[in-house]
Amino acid sequence: MAKILVVDDEFGIGELLREVLSDDDHQVVLAINGRQGLQMVANEQPDLVFLDFMMPVLNGVGMLKAKMEDPNMAQIPVIIMSSLPEASVAERAHGHVGFVRKPFQINTILDVAAVALAGSKKSSG
Amino acid sequence: MSQTPSPPGNGPRLEKTPSGIEGLDVILRGGFLQGGITIVQGKPGAGKTILGNQLCFNHAAAGGRALYVTLLAESHARMLLHIGNLAFFRSSAIPDQLLYVSAFPVLEADGIRGLLALLRREVSAFNATVLVLDGLVAAEKVAASDMEFKKFIHELQAHATAANCQMFLLTSGGDNPDVVTAEHTMVDCVIELRSRLRGWRADRDLEILKRRGDGFLRGRHAFRISDAGLTVFPRFEALLATPTNAERVEKTRASTGLAQLDDMIGGGLPRASTTLLLGPSGIGKTTVGMHFLSQCTPEDRGLFFGFYEDPAGIRDKAMALGLPLVNHLDQGVVECLWQPTTEASLDEICAQLLIATRARGVRRLFLDGLGGIAKLADDPERVGHILTTLVHELRALHVTSLVTKESDDLLGSLGVPPASSLAAGSVSDIADNILLFQFIRLRSRLHRTVSAFKVRDSRIDEQAHLFEITPHGIVVDASPDRAEAIFVEAAAQPRTPDSPPSTPAQVQRPQGE
Repeated sequence: MAKILVVDDEFGIGELLREVLSDDDHQVVLAINGRQGLQMVANEQPDLVFLDFMMPVLNGVGMLKAKMEDPNMAQIPVIIMSSLPEASVAERAHGHVGFVRKPFQINTILDVAAVALAGSKKSSG
Repeated sequence: MSQTPSPPGNGPRLEKTPSGIEGLDVILRGGFLQGGITIVQGKPGAGKTILGNQLCFNHAAAGGRALYVTLLAESHARMLLHIGNLAFFRSSAIPDQLLYVSAFPVLEADGIRGLLALLRREVSAFNATVLVLDGLVAAEKVAASDMEFKKFIHELQAHATAANCQMFLLTSGGDNPDVVTAEHTMVDCVIELRSRLRGWRADRDLEILKRRGDGFLRGRHAFRISDAGLTVFPRFEALLATPTNAERVEKTRASTGLAQLDDMIGGGLPRASTTLLLGPSGIGKTTVGMHFLSQCTPEDRGLFFGFYEDPAGIRDKAMALGLPLVNHLDQGVVECLWQPTTEASLDEICAQLLIATRARGVRRLFLDGLGGIAKLADDPERVGHILTTLVHELRALHVTSLVTKESDDLLGSLGVPPASSLAAGSVSDIADNILLFQFIRLRSRLHRTVSAFKVRDSRIDEQAHLFEITPHGIVVDASPDRAEAIFVEAAAQPRTPDSPPSTPAQVQRPQGE
């Protein structure tokens, strides 16, 4: 079981991911913007972060940048979610390990989470 | 807020920003006021979300920055999928010029004050000059009281002004969209989008219910949602209440393409006039129009605008008759536009006709015919007004027009005023000239006749002339003698009690002629 942080401003997305990932035996915590997400990363020390790209207050790019600059958080893997094409996101965001295009299928979320968590274990082990 | 200097004695005027939707900007006389709030209301499916997105993308395309904030609306991913194929969509605008964020979690957690704070912060942080808030009704439901909601609108208005940001609040209008709500009284502009059933089809229209500080075109305006997004067609008769140019009476003549007919009407049709070709189906009105357009030259360009026959059919017909129209069509001297009467709106058709006329510098128009226009009218009372407006504008554009109308009976008798089926507008409003086409039945054969009923500023030969449609087109008798002989003989032939008259009834000129 892993602890996963989902950061998304959209009604429904966070709740959906909480249910899907909980059913896969993970512990899920939610944040609704990048600023709240940074606090949750610091407080909860999650194993993985699903991070929305466009959000109010602090967007995904801003949160990812701040996380990468903090040595205590930098190693936590991040998967970016967006309705935009991956290339468009890659031009602006750096330091994420995976990408999920919205709208997504549930299996995609589970697969990408499994890969990211496995990679994280390898690198830490 | 930016203001433009104004002449002495007048206050400063607020700047407007075009919406980028041409017809809407015409209705709004230039666009939305900068720093103002507009409510866009309509039932689900009315087109609010597409309009909101189109406003954002258009604003971004013009160099602005737009923020699209959703409350309880569809997910951004689904929304972008839905609008992704529309012409205004440019993925490159997102996220640097156009940002999608959801404010519902904030609304849920912190209430309407939290929403207001978020909107202020995001507009400021993104330097947004357009904000769309999709799902205002959710904010209204969350507000503790009417007063709190009014304060929300009031404070948002103040922020829109201070930030010089145009704000659009999209709402389904609550439980009863017909009720004028407090927020309507507080905002600068209210637009309602509607979809109405007309028989089996649905027509869309919008109305500006309120606009502060400037005029606008009142009434309902048709719009269409297509791959281009929203296309708005300002109400034709309001748009052109005054023709775009001064009308002038031209002294020159335009040949009909039929020399004998030209002789009957004083040497051809007066230029910049409108002629009604009135007669039964199958008598040859369209063929007359093809002769008329065969007279076109690169300097005297033509347009065939029809509701019944497609361009290929028209070309085949012209080819079969050996008319020069074929070459004109091939060389682009004459354009043929075909509009089936199934889905389009009347305002759209009239706009399309005038756009083609202006763009091509058309001087000869053949419109086939008024029946198609009448079929498109959602309100029969509008037809007369629209035709009058159209005729005035065509005159102002110096276009010589032939317009067909089917008479109410198969032979084309004249017992009723020719335009009786038009709910409004007399014949004199619509046509400068009227040419009547009638069949005369003599024994087993139908004969075709044409007569000039009226022609502006002309001495006309009022007698009917026989004409035939030959393999080389229409041939009109130079003399009325054959027609006269057939009329006399037909009048004398025995009739059965239920047979239609073989000769036209006594002509009754419509009132005012």
